[in-house]
Amino acid sequence: MMDSMIIGKYVPGTSLVHRLDPRTKLITIFLFVCIVFLANNVQTYALLGLFTIGVVSLTRVPFSFLMKGLKPIIWIVLFTFLLHILMTHEGPIIFQIGFFKVYEGGLVQGIFISLRFVYLILITTLLTLTTTPIEITDGMEQLLNPLKKLKLPVHELALMMSISLRFIPTLMEETDKIMKAQMARGVDFTSGPVKERVKAIVPLLVPLFVSAFKRAEELAVAMEARGYQGGEGRTKYRKLVWTGKDTSVIVSLIVLAALLFFLRA
Amino acid sequence: MKQRKLRAGDMALIGMFAALMAVGANITSVAPFLQVAGIPLSMQPFFCLLAALLLGSKRAAIAMIVYALVGLAGAPVFAQFSAGFAPFAGKSGGFIISYIPAAFAAGWFLERNIQPSKIRFLIASLIGTAIMYLIGTTYMYLALKLWIHTPVSYGTAWGFMIWFMVKDTALAVILSFIAPAIYRSIHKATGFNRNHISST
Repeated sequence: MMDSMIIGKYVPGTSLVHRLDPRTKLITIFLFVCIVFLANNVQTYALLGLFTIGVVSLTRVPFSFLMKGLKPIIWIVLFTFLLHILMTHEGPIIFQIGFFKVYEGGLVQGIFISLRFVYLILITTLLTLTTTPIEITDGMEQLLNPLKKLKLPVHELALMMSISLRFIPTLMEETDKIMKAQMARGVDFTSGPVKERVKAIVPLLVPLFVSAFKRAEELAVAMEARGYQGGEGRTKYRKLVWTGKDTSVIVSLIVLAALLFFLRA
Repeated sequence: MKQRKLRAGDMALIGMFAALMAVGANITSVAPFLQVAGIPLSMQPFFCLLAALLLGSKRAAIAMIVYALVGLAGAPVFAQFSAGFAPFAGKSGGFIISYIPAAFAAGWFLERNIQPSKIRFLIASLIGTAIMYLIGTTYMYLALKLWIHTPVSYGTAWGFMIWFMVKDTALAVILSFIAPAIYRSIHKATGFNRNHISST
């Protein structure tokens, strides 16, 4: 579990999608989220479906990982679907069980909106499945670079994200250690009324926060000692490289958008 | 607001608090005792307010922004180890966003006074909680209405959240009692002073 906190949901691999520049993937998602709303008939939804299935199969990520990403959203999708069937009364009745009537408009609308949700979640889940959080942080920093002109501290935000990614597992472990240490000293965490248990949090929190502050101070001293000066003129250990693959992905997305535009009703 | 450049010390602290939020969101995985009637207690609001009371408005708000971005970038830092875009699309996504203004407001209120009293701590944490639920519940209502297409009335949305609100208000009150003690221990151990932006 501790290790999974660092790499997130990343599934290591060497597929085409894994090797893409994180910037490409971020732009792709942004464009996809926009163009998914262009679809409004069977052809356009089928086209988007083909695109999604194509990308998913290119990543070669096991199906079970994708399902994990869909899990939190599956109830929403089902609920939306049922609600549309029950509430939308358009078009001819397809079938009827007692009072329960299913209209064609409701069924079609329900399927479309559920599909849109599934496409969106699948594509955004793929980003986190094929890219490490550190890569995404680098990509975001590069993409948001123009916003530096508006005095937005892009470099600083990216650095703070990296710091927090680095320390999440450390602090998790620390919490565990502190808890065991306090239990050894006789703090009772596991029984008693709620009030007592909440009180027991104090001997857990104080050392945790003191340790977080100490680590922050040490890190700051280390940064200063190495001459950290902010983003200006800083060289990078991980360099992002934009290749022909990336350009072709963006072009194919624009083609997809154009096709959707012509096919939509 | 005075424009100050973020120093290395501030950035390290902010990163650390964003990490602490991640710990708080899933603290039940290391501290299984924090459950009430089988429901794991999310300590996110608690940690968010603690960040505000310890770091002050600006740094706490940035810490919450960093936390949201780290989650968005795919590290499983939100409740139930979720991450990415999906939690924002869900009905509880508004809370992740609400931590930012909540932390800012609570910190801002505390900063009005250099030597804040206990009452001020209490009001600051209550303001923070109120903002969280105001934004979180409204977001839930809008999410249900606009893209989950399951319209419920605004009142129903509040009715759904009321028990969580009672829990978090209770936690906020407890927090306001223990926050000064935590601050003193940190001050003693590291010389950290809330009113100073770090000198390193």
